[in-house]
Amino acid sequence: MKPRDAYAAFVIWVVLTALGEAFVLRANIYPLAGNEFARDVDDAFRLLMALAVPVFTFVVTVLVYSLLRFRRNGEPAEDGPPIHSHRGAVWGWFAVTSGLTLLVMVHPGFTGLLELRESRHQEMVVAVQAAQWSWNFTFPGRSELEKVKDLKLPTDTKIRFDVTSRDVVHSFWLPMYRMKIDAVPGRVNSVYVATEEAVSYGENVNVRVQCAELCGTGHPRMQVRVEVVERPEFDAWLAEQEAG
Amino acid sequence: MAAITHTGHDSRAINSMGLWLFIASEFALFSAFIFARYYLTGRDQPEELNIGLGYAITVVLLSSSVCAYLAEQAIARGDRRRFLRFTLAAIVLGTLFLVGVGLEWREAAHSFPPPDLYGTVFFSLTGLHASHMVTGLLALLFIWVQGRRGRFDAEAHWGVTGVVRYWHFVDLVWLIVFPTLYLV
Amino acid sequence: MAATALIARTRDWAFGPILRGLLTGLVGFSLGAGFTAGVRALAGADAIAFGPVIFGGYWFGLAGWLLGVGVWRTWAREWLGMPVDWTMRNGWQRYFDFTTDHKVIGVQYLVTFLGMFFLAGLLAMLMRIEHLTGGQVLFSPSQYNYVMSLHGITMIFVAVAAVIGGFGNYAVPIMIGAADMAYPRLNALSYWLAAPVPVLLLATFFAGGFDAGWTSYPPLAVENRDGQILFNLAFITLGLSSIAGSINFIVTVTKLRARGLSFGRLPIFVWGVFAMSLLGFFFTQYVAAAMMMTLLDRLFGMVFFDAAGGGDPLLYQHIFWFYSHPAVYIMGIPGLALALEVITHFSRKPLFAYRWVVGGILAITALSAVVWAHHMFTAGLSDIELFFFVTTTELISIPTGLIFLGALGTIWGGRLWLRTPMLFALAVIFNFLIGGLTGIFLADVFTDIHLQDTFFVVAHFHYTIVGAGIFGLFAGIYYWFPKITGRSYSEFWAKLHFWWMFLGFNMTFLPMFWLGLNGMNRRVASYPSDLEALNVVASLGGFFLGAGFLVFLANIVVSWVRGPAASANPWRARTLEWHTSSPPPVENFESEPEVVGHPYDYGTPGAVHAMLAGAEEEGG
Ligand SMILES: [Cu+2]
Ligand SMILES: [Cu+2]
Repeated sequence: MKPRDAYAAFVIWVVLTALGEAFVLRANIYPLAGNEFARDVDDAFRLLMALAVPVFTFVVTVLVYSLLRFRRNGEPAEDGPPIHSHRGAVWGWFAVTSGLTLLVMVHPGFTGLLELRESRHQEMVVAVQAAQWSWNFTFPGRSELEKVKDLKLPTDTKIRFDVTSRDVVHSFWLPMYRMKIDAVPGRVNSVYVATEEAVSYGENVNVRVQCAELCGTGHPRMQVRVEVVERPEFDAWLAEQEAG
Repeated sequence: MAAITHTGHDSRAINSMGLWLFIASEFALFSAFIFARYYLTGRDQPEELNIGLGYAITVVLLSSSVCAYLAEQAIARGDRRRFLRFTLAAIVLGTLFLVGVGLEWREAAHSFPPPDLYGTVFFSLTGLHASHMVTGLLALLFIWVQGRRGRFDAEAHWGVTGVVRYWHFVDLVWLIVFPTLYLV
Repeated sequence: MAATALIARTRDWAFGPILRGLLTGLVGFSLGAGFTAGVRALAGADAIAFGPVIFGGYWFGLAGWLLGVGVWRTWAREWLGMPVDWTMRNGWQRYFDFTTDHKVIGVQYLVTFLGMFFLAGLLAMLMRIEHLTGGQVLFSPSQYNYVMSLHGITMIFVAVAAVIGGFGNYAVPIMIGAADMAYPRLNALSYWLAAPVPVLLLATFFAGGFDAGWTSYPPLAVENRDGQILFNLAFITLGLSSIAGSINFIVTVTKLRARGLSFGRLPIFVWGVFAMSLLGFFFTQYVAAAMMMTLLDRLFGMVFFDAAGGGDPLLYQHIFWFYSHPAVYIMGIPGLALALEVITHFSRKPLFAYRWVVGGILAITALSAVVWAHHMFTAGLSDIELFFFVTTTELISIPTGLIFLGALGTIWGGRLWLRTPMLFALAVIFNFLIGGLTGIFLADVFTDIHLQDTFFVVAHFHYTIVGAGIFGLFAGIYYWFPKITGRSYSEFWAKLHFWWMFLGFNMTFLPMFWLGLNGMNRRVASYPSDLEALNVVASLGGFFLGAGFLVFLANIVVSWVRGPAASANPWRARTLEWHTSSPPPVENFESEPEVVGHPYDYGTPGAVHAMLAGAEEEGG
């Protein structure tokens, strides 16, 4: 082990990190994002990846470099140097990992919680009843729509879903809005979703409501195809549901 | 061979530590049910609880614990007669306590049978405690029978110490369960 | 009183203890079931209702089984002042007996739980077949839920018990220079208490299966098919076993360390087992409580989790995760500690920053008690609860980082000997790195809301529990194989197995991160067909991974039967288990060991870890 090893590993780490960052910052691995909130969640995801890359490449560099450079063919004849610890390395490591931890704790940890809090506005309240194995929706001033397979929502509307369950625990998940809340019997859990553009399940499978908590036989198929449409079309649909 | 096993190791200290850990572990089990009681019913409490009977059996159980303590003190001095007498007293009082719980159960089964929320926490908590009482009583009975056969003396009575400690623990748990169910 | 003074019933038939146990178990079950049915009949209820009768019969059956298999002969007779009449057997028969030798018990655990591992692995293959397409392939949704649930709980039990039960039992007493565990008979009891668990799990098949996953959330787990009852009983039973085992480890490590072996000189694997026992002996009671409440709701009409009756399903989740989060460390940390142990010996360099690593393990132990609700971020917690649990959960990254510091600091500049145990140990570090970093996405509410209950989570916990726990298990198997069997395994086939498993594992689970992020929720028989391509990759990886274990099995069986003899210390490692013969004698050492130095003083000329009384120093 010579200083040269440290320099070489450092260079490799820098190169790998640069490659890794270039990849994670540009890679589009995300599903369709339906609103501002979803894009923010993806940004947070991307940020966490960007912070994870140097950590990942650091560990991998040290692992692989040591594996290649310090390996012995067969049983080592002699021992390695008797280094028990290294004050600078230990405190440096401790400081960096603590710093990174505090960073992600504050952002996107606490800031994410704040954004969640600030997203709580509604122009429309929809009651959601989960049951084995269907979703039931009640729009304001309307009677309940039972066993909904196709749901329409108006564009550019802040909606609050009041979610509960009639039997077991389910979970109300809108993948394209990155929003999810459990449907728990005896409780009403609210989530806030601000719709934006028109989009439909036909265009992307993540424009759906999916039950995300194991609830028995019908769990995987406990989904609703969603279509976000302009307000007039939505109103017409709702009236039509009421009539039918 | 056994020489290596226990060189420099005090088997009484080893057993004692294990028992303390077991008691701590049992405490965790009770704490889960006590937590459930507060989580589910908050400060609510039904009118029908027979608090008088509750106090009465609490006093009975405490006396049982005192007797168990005196029994242990007696055997530590080598006084087998007193040891047997107090052990028997602890057993009788412990049984009396269980009878009292039985009476409570009969009333409770009328006032708030299990599908009732308070019935759920009441029967599960007292039932869990009673099952530990039964275990403790069997253990006391065991050391009483062994004592009558001439086992245990001033030097060697770990069995007694262990059982009595467990008995104190079961009593202590009641001192938490009782206010939890009756007073809060 | 010493367990070893117990004697010989030499002419007993090999399977005598097990058969007697089955017989008394059956008698006990009949008594319990009959008693329950009788009480029900008196109370005017339907006498032979499946649930209550099975429940009542089980506890008596379990007691009968334990008495028959060995508790009566070795324990109860002594209590009752009757002559105790048996001895430990020497041949292979001792593996089928209530043997108190911790080394035998370790092997019993290893073989039993490896068997369960392969069984649950086969179930995983079936699940991957089902996932070859988005639609239905092999199973109806209800059959799939059963296979998935059975896979989950079996693997959880393996992860909880294989490393601690297997290598904790086998290696820890020798590593601390003890002749056995503190309570040898309790140790045997722990194993024979665990033995009915796989039987219960398999018996669920005849009770209609169960479909609530390993987490078995009520109300589903209160209303579903009766196999769930056996699941609850199995969980409680394994819980009792691991509580007894944990207490045994804590007392053993506290009280039976060889002279001179201070806590500051404890091998890191011993630290790992010790710290996790501190979690196990206390927190396991909470999962027992959760299972009991589920049974009380189901069988006795109580309403703990029944919202209509005033109960709350979230109560279960709180109690369950109060155990089950610490439990994920019980599954992971022993494997990580084992990896550090192996890395140190195969780098021939002191474990870097030993005290910090130990501090890290202890800090994880402490913090794990206050993070449970991160499994419930979408359950409807208040803002203040979310804030608290984000904070505590993120904090765990810091002590976890210290484990990486120890591993990297040790290999850097070492003299690496890349034998199979070392390869597995390094893979533990790599896998756990991925598992740990992806955990941050789940620790953070903002990103977790979307990822919760998706394949992202599935990938994450397989990287931690399999990547660290199970890879650690295999590191241990190869590391201690010469010690346990007295024979050497084939290095070629072992390395082939390593690379096969490493590639197969990553090919299976890496794609699942993307699948979860892109809308595939977990525990589903079918999924949107857009996600088929990567599912096929994961499935092929899974089949490849599964096939690799044939290499492992062939190598282990052939090597055990006729591998070349191994020396006492083939790795020239310094800890105490390498100071005695391979395999070690009953009670481990010919004479009493004394520890005079740190276990990891590589590179210091003349440094010695331990000496055996009367023997020449054998440091290394
Ligand atoms: Cu579901
Ligand atoms: Cu957790």
